Amino acid sequence: MLTRFTRYSRAAAAACLLGYSGVLLADDAEAMQQRLQQLEQEIKALKQSISAMQDATQQQPHLPAPVSTAAPPGGHSPIQIGLSSLVTAGGSSVDNEALEGLQAGAHDPNRNGFTVQNVELTLSGAVDPYFDAQASLIFQIDAGGETKVELEEAFFTTRGLPAGLQVKGGQYFTEFGRHNQQHPHSWAFVDQPLVLSRLFGGDGLRSQGARISWLTPLPWYSELYVGAQNASGETATSFLYEKDKTVGGHTLLDRDARDLGDLLYSARWLNGVDLSDTVSMNLGLSGLRGPNASGLNTDTTIYGADLYLKWQPSHSQRGFPFVSWHSEVLERRYETPDAKLKDWGGFTQALWGFTPGWVVGLRMEYAEGSGGKAGYDISTDALRDNRTRLSPNLTWYPTEYSKLRLQYNRDWTEHLAEKDAHALWLQFEYSLGAHAAHTF
Amino acid sequence: MQSICKLVLAIALSALPLLSQATLKVAATTQDLAAIAQELGGDRVEAISLTLGTRDPHYAEAKPSMIREVHDADLLLLVGADLEIGWLPPLLQAARNPRVLPGSAGYLDLSRTVPLLGVPSAPVARAMGDVHAQGNPHYWLNPANGLRMAQAIAARLAALDGAHAADYQARLTNFEQRLQAKITAWQAALAPLKGKPVIAYHDSFPYLADAFGLHIVAHVEPVPGIAPGPAHLQKLVARIKSEQVGLLIMEPYYERRSANYLAEQTGIKIAVLPQSVGSAPQIMTYFDLFDAIVAALQKAGAL
Repeated sequence: MLTRFTRYSRAAAAACLLGYSGVLLADDAEAMQQRLQQLEQEIKALKQSISAMQDATQQQPHLPAPVSTAAPPGGHSPIQIGLSSLVTAGGSSVDNEALEGLQAGAHDPNRNGFTVQNVELTLSGAVDPYFDAQASLIFQIDAGGETKVELEEAFFTTRGLPAGLQVKGGQYFTEFGRHNQQHPHSWAFVDQPLVLSRLFGGDGLRSQGARISWLTPLPWYSELYVGAQNASGETATSFLYEKDKTVGGHTLLDRDARDLGDLLYSARWLNGVDLSDTVSMNLGLSGLRGPNASGLNTDTTIYGADLYLKWQPSHSQRGFPFVSWHSEVLERRYETPDAKLKDWGGFTQALWGFTPGWVVGLRMEYAEGSGGKAGYDISTDALRDNRTRLSPNLTWYPTEYSKLRLQYNRDWTEHLAEKDAHALWLQFEYSLGAHAAHTF
Repeated sequence: MQSICKLVLAIALSALPLLSQATLKVAATTQDLAAIAQELGGDRVEAISLTLGTRDPHYAEAKPSMIREVHDADLLLLVGADLEIGWLPPLLQAARNPRVLPGSAGYLDLSRTVPLLGVPSAPVARAMGDVHAQGNPHYWLNPANGLRMAQAIAARLAALDGAHAADYQARLTNFEQRLQAKITAWQAALAPLKGKPVIAYHDSFPYLADAFGLHIVAHVEPVPGIAPGPAHLQKLVARIKSEQVGLLIMEPYYERRSANYLAEQTGIKIAVLPQSVGSAPQIMTYFDLFDAIVAALQKAGAL
């Protein structure tokens, strides 16, 4: 800018000098005077026509102001920041130790008294023309009063690959079923489904890796996901979980990934259609295969199916009323050096938003397992026994940014001496910053 | 294996016509925008709306069928001013269509083409309710803004499909002429309301009021997005009586109890105004929308 200015001023100075010397040479001051007067008149005429044009524009009725059709500069702010906080108060008919077995989700309310379930800081935005990125950091206060920080997710997605392709990479929730990818603040119940705590661990199935997805050219929404992730750690409990933990009586080994065959492979096929103007449906099939740490050459396979239906009448206020129905069923085959363990379970939950801001829900769950090492008694294992849970709840959303939820859990379970348990939880959520996404 | 190959090939071939289509595919977030785009594009354009005019577009969800539509679109039209903030960003991410991402030629935020009302002059806090930090997004309810929107859409269609720029210009000129004539007729029909005090349910009608000279003195909602309680309704009853407010206007999708209560207490007339194209089956064009608004006001006895 500065250099350009200097260049212009130099050019102007040169032009002045030339002009001045020209006048001197011609020595004709009178002709110069005439020329100046002529120019002044021309300027005057121009000014008049401009003001006449301005008057004309102002007087025209109804005509809108000139419109700029240029693309908006920037669009959204470069980073969206949101903080969501979930706290619960409540209690159960069993003590805290038994409660940890019942509420096996790491973000479930699991203490008589208060639980800070999940304080989540989410940052997201476009990196550049090619990538979007998002990170979710979780702060939690554990039973000992210590604050824990977790990198829940941190991943990028591509923005513009051809042919309907998209790549995602980093630390992320595996796209398996519908519930596994949901963060605790978007759950419809205060706790995560039993079967997910059993097969995927307290934090759900997430790990470091990459996946590619393809939005197929089929006439309805149909998307295929294929991915590979690390199979180790406490967020992949059916796979290379920690040494010395036990699964079905088998003590886990210190097994590490040796080759590509020791990664966790996932696939999902998700289809969505509008059955009518008021009913939409998602139907998904998912599969996982990866190594497990019960032996040096043992594998785990998990399959699942999920169905989601939502009805909303064509006249609705703030998204109410609505009825939604979400069901998933999962099965795990866990190879050990001597036997195959089989576990399966499912849940079905219905929500009815009966008036703006109010939702009543009911969830029914069942899970069971079979197989184990000689001498292992499955009926004492909180993560594999026969278990049924029934959970009605009522949620009030004062606005889109806060909610208050009351939930009752009735449990029938083999591993407890009492064989059943009751719990009542009151949950409060608030969110600050970025507007929460209305995903289907 | 061979049959699988054949199937894949068949799917790929069936997708080819989509790639080489002659018409421009326009995905609009509301039926108002889709209707205007369809009028300007004629048979060169296939415009669809992602939401139904019978619902509040702010509370839509990124449904799977929308992902398909946005993925295939050449042009995305949005109302903007944060109206679609809850569902358009996740939808754009899922749809993976670089032609319609913000900043591309296929992304047109129409709130940038009109003068917005209700732009907060001081910082906004959520304690004030659903205040839109960028201004009130219901601007399509002033037909003069309809002209501005049409000009912007026609210019963008011409930019994307230069070979038919003259067609779009001709259709725009025709649209402008018809709308100008209609504006004069609507203004004459609504003249009795000029300067009259009116109560609105939600802060959705400042543009309509601006266009036709209505004077909105209060809202049924105490703050935007929050339903009124008994105390607020009592205040409104007193206000309606003292200021002799004769008309309450509201959108079809809000609860009617509060309005009915006010009518019982004060005799105020209630006009349920269609707020969008598609909000009733007979409202199929932008012109129909204002015709229906005039008809609803007549039916309520306000004119």
